[in-house]
Amino acid sequence: MSLANRYSAGEHRFGMVIDIDKCTGCGGCTVACMSENNVGVLYDETDKIRSITWMRVYQVDNGKPFPETQVAFFPRPCLHCEGSHGHHTPCVSVCPATATDYDPQTGIVSQIPTRCIGCRYCVGACPYHARYFNWFDTPWPAGLERPLNPAVAPRMRGVVEKCTFCYHRYQRAKNKAFLGGGKVEEMDYQTACTEACPSGAITFGDLKNPNHKVAQLAQSPECFRLLERLGTNNKVYYRTTREWVRRLADNYLKDEKPGQVAAS
Amino acid sequence: MNWDRRAFVKFAVGAVVGLHASPLVPKLMDDSAIWTQNWNWVPNPEDGALAFANTVNPATGTGVKVCVIAGRLKGERLIRVEGNPEHPTSKGGVVPADASALQNLYYDDFRVKTPLILDQRTGMHVEASWEQALDLVAGKLAELHKAGQAHTVAALGTEAKTLDGELLSRFMAAYGSPNTSFNVSAADTLAMAGWAMTGDENLGFDLLGANYVISFGTPLLEGFGSPVAVRKAFAAWRKDFKRTGTLVQVEPRASVTASQADQWLACKPGTEGAVALGLCQVLIQEGLYDRSIAGAALGFEDGDKGMGFKTLLAKNYSPGQVAQISGVPVETLITVAKAFAKEPKAVAVCGPGNGGEPGRLLDFMAVLALNALKGNLGKPGGLVARQPLGLKPLGEATAYRGDKPRLDGLGTAKRPLGASDHLSLAKGALAGAPYKVNLALVAGGNPAYASPQAGVVRDFLKSVPFVVAITPYLDESSSMAQVVLPCGTFLESWGDSLTPYGGAVSEYGLHKPLIKAYDMVKSQGDVILALAAKLGGAVAQALPFAGAEAALKARTAGLGELAKLAKKSYVVQEKPAYGNLSFKTPSGKLEFFSMNLHNLAVKLTGEGGMGKVLKAMGVTAEGSAALMPHYEPPAALARAGHGRLVLAAVSSLRTPRGDQPITPYMIKVLDGDTLANNDQLVVEMNPQTAHDLHLYEGDLVKVTSTAGSTEARVHLFAGAAPGMVFMPVGLGHYASQNAYTYRRGGNYNQVAEATADPLSGLPTWGLTPVAVSKA
Repeated sequence: MSLANRYSAGEHRFGMVIDIDKCTGCGGCTVACMSENNVGVLYDETDKIRSITWMRVYQVDNGKPFPETQVAFFPRPCLHCEGSHGHHTPCVSVCPATATDYDPQTGIVSQIPTRCIGCRYCVGACPYHARYFNWFDTPWPAGLERPLNPAVAPRMRGVVEKCTFCYHRYQRAKNKAFLGGGKVEEMDYQTACTEACPSGAITFGDLKNPNHKVAQLAQSPECFRLLERLGTNNKVYYRTTREWVRRLADNYLKDEKPGQVAAS
Repeated sequence: MNWDRRAFVKFAVGAVVGLHASPLVPKLMDDSAIWTQNWNWVPNPEDGALAFANTVNPATGTGVKVCVIAGRLKGERLIRVEGNPEHPTSKGGVVPADASALQNLYYDDFRVKTPLILDQRTGMHVEASWEQALDLVAGKLAELHKAGQAHTVAALGTEAKTLDGELLSRFMAAYGSPNTSFNVSAADTLAMAGWAMTGDENLGFDLLGANYVISFGTPLLEGFGSPVAVRKAFAAWRKDFKRTGTLVQVEPRASVTASQADQWLACKPGTEGAVALGLCQVLIQEGLYDRSIAGAALGFEDGDKGMGFKTLLAKNYSPGQVAQISGVPVETLITVAKAFAKEPKAVAVCGPGNGGEPGRLLDFMAVLALNALKGNLGKPGGLVARQPLGLKPLGEATAYRGDKPRLDGLGTAKRPLGASDHLSLAKGALAGAPYKVNLALVAGGNPAYASPQAGVVRDFLKSVPFVVAITPYLDESSSMAQVVLPCGTFLESWGDSLTPYGGAVSEYGLHKPLIKAYDMVKSQGDVILALAAKLGGAVAQALPFAGAEAALKARTAGLGELAKLAKKSYVVQEKPAYGNLSFKTPSGKLEFFSMNLHNLAVKLTGEGGMGKVLKAMGVTAEGSAALMPHYEPPAALARAGHGRLVLAAVSSLRTPRGDQPITPYMIKVLDGDTLANNDQLVVEMNPQTAHDLHLYEGDLVKVTSTAGSTEARVHLFAGAAPGMVFMPVGLGHYASQNAYTYRRGGNYNQVAEATADPLSGLPTWGLTPVAVSKA
């Protein structure tokens, strides 16, 4: 199916292509995201169940013995699923408080912490572990609240949060475009992680705009999505030439070949 | 109306229907959701106009833009550090140390905000004014000077060639002490190797121009040079989903670089140099080497100095022999060497080790030899000589003029080459031979935590009666100081940074105060200059600057107006200086047999005693081979075996190496295979090795060397070479002021043992024999 037809009607479908063969797992994207989106640090961050990382970099390895071992990294933001049969984003469909919603214009799955009632249905529904619950208030001790970004409200305990594709940056770009009388250009709206990545492994843009680089790259047969057969129809594409990496992206049977199994 | 059952049901149904029709319920729920989240302890960051300022992070060499917000009520504050796309080498993009720099800037508990003086009665630091603190330090220095004890003052700086380093060196020389030491780095080793073989100390690798790169044991993608700039080259080799460049990594662990490389040559620990020599031999035996420069080089053929490099290779480093030494198969060596020879733009790279150690000089010489045989000297995508930027000296050269020997033995027969380092200074001072240290000045860094064999440096600082620390942080070193003088981070002070390791073009980064986060904090240069002014006399004469800004102005006079330069924040040469290297060696040619090294050894002992000198420097090879690139088995390996494993470091950009403290965000992004639950350090072991020791995933072990020990959890990782144990660096801080980094894991530098590298004499701490036992 062609890229544009994968998604429902709507002006934009913002998405990403992440080149795993370029990602060196440095964590630059994660840290830049946290500083942009006011994600705090708990005193014990080794308890990963309670640690909040909108953009998390997972390390995987090929499981082969020395010296054939290889590692690779999967940077995982919120994948902004659309669902393959009409609007059916896993988290949106379970939220009783309309705290998360699928924007028909941009394809961005929003998260409004002040509406969230903390039921955590969405956390359970998300197949990618992209949603995090604030079990505690984030401490901002001893002056550490000073670098907080005013464009993003800090959250409190009891609510869920996740990556928003830096939606505030889109709003800022729209305001700028409105005042300037132009349109939001590709480079006007880029997420913090995309800008931060020193290897340029992340490409961000509108998947529906054939002029955007992301739309061109996502067409490559080397691109795939995580757990594609679940039908989440998300908008974050990964790319690798290594078959073992690709096999880890979905639950393949032994005789199945990645890339040749149709997504549902 | 009777209040009967029917009326009650009607009322109840009516109420339910009514409530559903009214907006009351959603409204109340919404209100209560908002109200329950409206807590005053959730901060409400003040908005304001945004502006960006350029600077360069000296710790990473990244050109960055810092976002400044002008709040109406609370004034200006910095909110973000982003990459600067205009910076010619880093071109946008950041690594965690850049993106989280504000956490170190703004962490009140961790910062030194005012001068502090230790109260002897309570053992606590108390706040003081600049006047009081400087008077105390200057008084102490003047007292020692008067008593003829000026040489017993030691200074521990960070980088010798930066403004801060130069100021410190001048200060100490004019004051009258030979004991100034700086952090060692691979740049020192590369400068020595370049000096020995080409006469040029400023060599760089043109990664951006190359399309075939072999990296020998250095973490090219985890902490080599400026990490962002290296990634730009790496990204160019993988541009638009096409592989236009080939990366080959030689090292014993499936690191990020090894995994991202197109080919990984898994060698035994410490044998990377032998692999380079094996590749050299293949180039020669296949006739694929450059004959005009390498073939005509001094010491290539046999001659009056003895066996030539060609014969040495044929004799000791045939592919079969190298396969024996390194464990890399013969066929692999031959294919890689042929591919390396075939590619027009190929370069072999050496650099810092995983623990940040400066590398082994003989390995570096072997890598230079490989580049020379390839014939890429001065060519695009090869090994290039950087042109100097033209920084002005701060005044007439000032050197120590007294007759007291240095405590680290630098410049003596035992260590004729070499750069200074904290560990040797500390060892010399602890031995008290020939004298003890009465005052130590720690400038900018945190040697008690970050120097190799940190325990020794900590013991040394403990033994010194009076320690002065000039630092932004309340870290391990400053907590041992009698006087702590606050200096700024790179975001709030004047200072500069030079070309990152291995850079192909000369770079100069300048940082300026972007914000005044704390009123009393000064630039490090300002503190040294203020101290010099207080002391007066020769010291004040050697440092005639009003402040760090004025000193920078003098230093950068050749680079244009300071205000303009500060706004731009960098000077970077456009492209590498291609063209053949002009060899500044005694023979005027490339030298496989180093005359510079030879002349130095002769100067020390005369021709006859040269063998003895070289033995003392740790070189076991005999005859002419001793002064040529050759392989010396690492001393640490000889003591491994017999149930002992070899400890090596895991480098990562999520943990800093060296002085820069780890930030809360960097701690946060560490995975369970670096820092396990309950903040326990994790060490990697090959499953087979662990099995042999009856260890399982998650077992708590004690890793013990002669230098120290630490506890850690075992993580089984098939990519770890058998017989080794791999430990992350940059963790295990024990200064309690920083609640985020205190006791997070253990410190690699506490366990790793530093040994003197053959020939260079620099401490190297990449491999350590350790015992691993269940804790």
